[in-house]
Amino acid sequence: MKPAPFEYVKAVSVADAVALLTEHRGDARLLAGGQSLVPMLNMRLLRPSVVIDVNGLADALGEIALQGDAVAVGALVRYAEIERSSLVAERVPLLRHVVAYIGDRQVRNRGTVGGAVAHADPTGEIALVTLALGAIMRAEGPDGVRDIHAEAFFLGPYTTALAPDEMLTHVIFPPAAPAFRFFERGRKHNDFAVLSLAVVGRPEPDGTWRDIRIALGGVHDRPVLAAAAARALEGRRWDDALVRDAALLALEDCDPPDDFRASAEYRRHLVPVHVRRMLSALAGGHE
Amino acid sequence: MADTLPHVAGAPVGVGTPVTRKEDDRLLRGDGRFTDDVRPADALHMAVGRCPFPHARIAHLDTSAAERLDGVRHILVGADVVAATSVISPLRPTPGTPDLPYYALAPEVCVYEGHAFVSVAATSRHIAEDAIDLVEVEWEPLPHVTDTLAALAPEATVLHPAQLDSNLLSTNPMGPGADAELAAADVIVEDVFRVNRVTGLPMEPRAVVAEWRPGARRLTVHCATQVPHLVRMQLAETLHLDEGEVRVIASDVGGGYGLKLGAYPEDVLACLHSMRLVRPVKWAEDRQEHFRATTHARESVHRFRIAATQTGRILAITDTYAADLGGQYSSFGPAQLSSYTYPGPYRVTAGHVERQVVVTNKTPIGAYRGYGQPEVNFARERLMDRLAREVGIDPLEVRLMNLLTPEELPFTNLSGAIYDSGDYPRCLRMAADAVDYSGHRVRGTVRPDGRRTGIGFSSFIERTGYPSAKFLADRRSRYGTHESLTLRANRTGGIDLFTGVSTMGQGSETTIAQVCAQVHGVDFARITVHAGDTGASPLNTGGFSSRTMIAAAGAVRIAASELRAKTLRIAAYRLAVDPEDLTIDGQVVRLRDDPACAISLAEVHEAAIFGRGIPDEEDPGLEATAHYEPPAAAFAFGSAAAVVTVDPETGDFDVDRFVFVHDSGTVVNPLIVEGQVRGALAQGFGAALGEELRYDRDTGQLVSGSMLDYFAPTAADLPEWELLHTEVASPVTPFGVRGVGETGTIPPAAAIANAICDALSDMNLDITSLPITPESVWRAIAAASAGEGMS
Repeated sequence: MKPAPFEYVKAVSVADAVALLTEHRGDARLLAGGQSLVPMLNMRLLRPSVVIDVNGLADALGEIALQGDAVAVGALVRYAEIERSSLVAERVPLLRHVVAYIGDRQVRNRGTVGGAVAHADPTGEIALVTLALGAIMRAEGPDGVRDIHAEAFFLGPYTTALAPDEMLTHVIFPPAAPAFRFFERGRKHNDFAVLSLAVVGRPEPDGTWRDIRIALGGVHDRPVLAAAAARALEGRRWDDALVRDAALLALEDCDPPDDFRASAEYRRHLVPVHVRRMLSALAGGHE
Repeated sequence: MADTLPHVAGAPVGVGTPVTRKEDDRLLRGDGRFTDDVRPADALHMAVGRCPFPHARIAHLDTSAAERLDGVRHILVGADVVAATSVISPLRPTPGTPDLPYYALAPEVCVYEGHAFVSVAATSRHIAEDAIDLVEVEWEPLPHVTDTLAALAPEATVLHPAQLDSNLLSTNPMGPGADAELAAADVIVEDVFRVNRVTGLPMEPRAVVAEWRPGARRLTVHCATQVPHLVRMQLAETLHLDEGEVRVIASDVGGGYGLKLGAYPEDVLACLHSMRLVRPVKWAEDRQEHFRATTHARESVHRFRIAATQTGRILAITDTYAADLGGQYSSFGPAQLSSYTYPGPYRVTAGHVERQVVVTNKTPIGAYRGYGQPEVNFARERLMDRLAREVGIDPLEVRLMNLLTPEELPFTNLSGAIYDSGDYPRCLRMAADAVDYSGHRVRGTVRPDGRRTGIGFSSFIERTGYPSAKFLADRRSRYGTHESLTLRANRTGGIDLFTGVSTMGQGSETTIAQVCAQVHGVDFARITVHAGDTGASPLNTGGFSSRTMIAAAGAVRIAASELRAKTLRIAAYRLAVDPEDLTIDGQVVRLRDDPACAISLAEVHEAAIFGRGIPDEEDPGLEATAHYEPPAAAFAFGSAAAVVTVDPETGDFDVDRFVFVHDSGTVVNPLIVEGQVRGALAQGFGAALGEELRYDRDTGQLVSGSMLDYFAPTAADLPEWELLHTEVASPVTPFGVRGVGETGTIPPAAAIANAICDALSDMNLDITSLPITPESVWRAIAAASAGEGMS
């Protein structure tokens, strides 16, 4: 388990990293926390000719900051910093909540938000939360900066809308509905999710719910929004029958994989059960 | 054991003292010396190329590009190994089987994914792996079979056509039979139980450092092994050397569990490279290789049956099982203890067992903690609950009715194994009381949140040690049952203790020294243990089969008595008193009645070592070597109770409580016994609930061969175990000890399965395969519901 030979370059700025990506278009990898990249290098599953270390760019990419009423999380922010951030706790509590489900202490001390999003694991918790909260991915490339909505960012397993010469610099969380529930089930503690699920919504004084978003992980080739289910619930008062029917609609937006962790059949069984339970918990104010 | 009082420093240490391990200081300080810590300055590094297919012929192999890579020093292919070595001989062949000879590298055909076919020695591991990448191979994939039962089908491709005309390596029937009892039975419960392929995951994978000195004709091999003396024997045979030319050193070892029993192909390869290059050659297995190159375990399919009366009394037990061997033999081969322990702790006088060893295109199977006993325990204890259901008697009562009582022991079971002593029913009652089983029966299984709670039991025995050297010889096993030890007095008043039992976390340096301190009288702290070096220790057997204490306690007792007697004679001569009146008290020899009349051990030792001031009739020197073969195996025993809550809608379940009651005879060190029990329970839970080495039937690929996909539990995945024990001294071992290393692996699967089935007893579901996962429980519920619909 030793990596194939590669050239190591330490980027001195975002522009430098982008220039290096452009120079080695498609044959370079960015090294941030290294929690996925380094094992893949060691197993020789990836053989880039150049590894561009961006860990020196914390000044530009290591901040969690308010931008208007949105929270901008730099791509180099470590999971552990999310756990400790009072700004995140106050403004993006769901993001803080899911960090406890990521890896172990060592992983959380190294792994980065940008790395998680750019790696685009279909079971990743951070990616799930960006969908649930409608986050914006900010990327820098040779032609400048562009913003990509989370819903347009994840294209497939480990595949994103980033071009080979683009670098993710920030994940921006706009204000979102305040109430949420999160659920995850894996084969062991902190393992990749068999199913993960975030439901977000805003209870109105008239008893209806608005801005419903239901994000699912582990049950498609990428994290997905259960849009049909959310539509069925939007602007309505919920009762058990509505919640049950909406939960079944969640299956319309996913095509669960069949893999060693769980069969597609079992995942299809779990999706409506847990969507129903989380919606009920959200409505009832309990887990 | 949780309330064991800590040992106070300076107080005497002997059998039963909860003293912390001698090994702890060096291990906790990072000062252990594992094989990978052996770093000769001019070492070369080896990497091994492995077949990516389950079954393939090497049509063409070209190493020229690899040879040209800067830093590559030597490349071996199968033909080189065949020319230079003999086949690697198994230590424990399956009785009655043809030999399936194997070399360190496949010469022509690879029979499993991961089968080694080329090795490279280079100036760094990186370069060696780069060179493996450059080896050009043209593979001719052959038909493969990975499923154990499918391998027995007539149409299955035969993997070793030169030796076998099918994939059935052997059939080993045993037992008196049960035709009359089966015919007379009111009730017969039977099913097919599938036990998962798992592995032991030592923290330290395997490793070897070989160094050949041609002028001295010495091959020194540092090797992560449980059996340095047996590896020495195997290497000498394979490499055509005299045993005297080979020295094997194994200390420290980072976990063995049966996986490190005997020489592996990589050990031979490192030696061959070193002998060719006259440089030290190191290979340290990485975790990816470990999942393919180190033996797997357990995989078997049991057709198990219990026949009983309507009152729940067992009339007969039978088991016909297929044990998976993998693609070729390993040093220990498939587990053999299923055939000796399948009747369990019950009063069973009729039955039979038949083992069928089956060749498949998978990594070879070898020994693993439990060695066949967890497998049959799962099948038998599930069926005990089915029997209880059939006859309408509580599962606890059915077990109590059939458990052997203390008065019935010793008892010879269907396979000739002799259960020595113990109170089996008491352990089960203790487990039932601990989980308030009678209260559970009153409360029922339904919880307010819709989940269900059940309780399951699992009673077990474990053979620890071996019946005799003859027993092993009759089965062509190439080792004995004895342990041998040398004690050597030193001039600072301490004792050097030399043992061939390598230190792998089992605490044997400590426990053997405890017996030595008790018998001899010397301070425990002044005993220095030198373990696992064939150049220093007398020829022994090794650390496996829960046998170390049973045999080594006898050897150290003899040696320490002998050393003590001579020490007292010399001291008596110098003090001008009668040796009968002397005793050893820590670091002095003194008169029993007059502590002032004393001489230090250091002085006595020096007198003996220099041969000055000792009686004329005494030889100089002060050391003793003893060999001890235990007269019989000792049977550990116990019962477990699991309390499990199940979500019937999803199959999710939590083990709320797990009570483990066991007896390992006289306890030499309660702290070490507790550690052994907890470690084995963790592996028992892992194999029961998560771990599975699964091969894709179509591609023949191992699909769970990395830590990403192999669900070994972490501390966060395991419940708080409650440990209770009894302490019945075994009449057949020194001090009454029984082995303790493996028991925890045996009962978890059945206890948890039984608890789940109890929780959902109204659904009448069944669990017959491992691991038990939320999905498998969900499927069992669905199957039970479908069955109900049909009836």
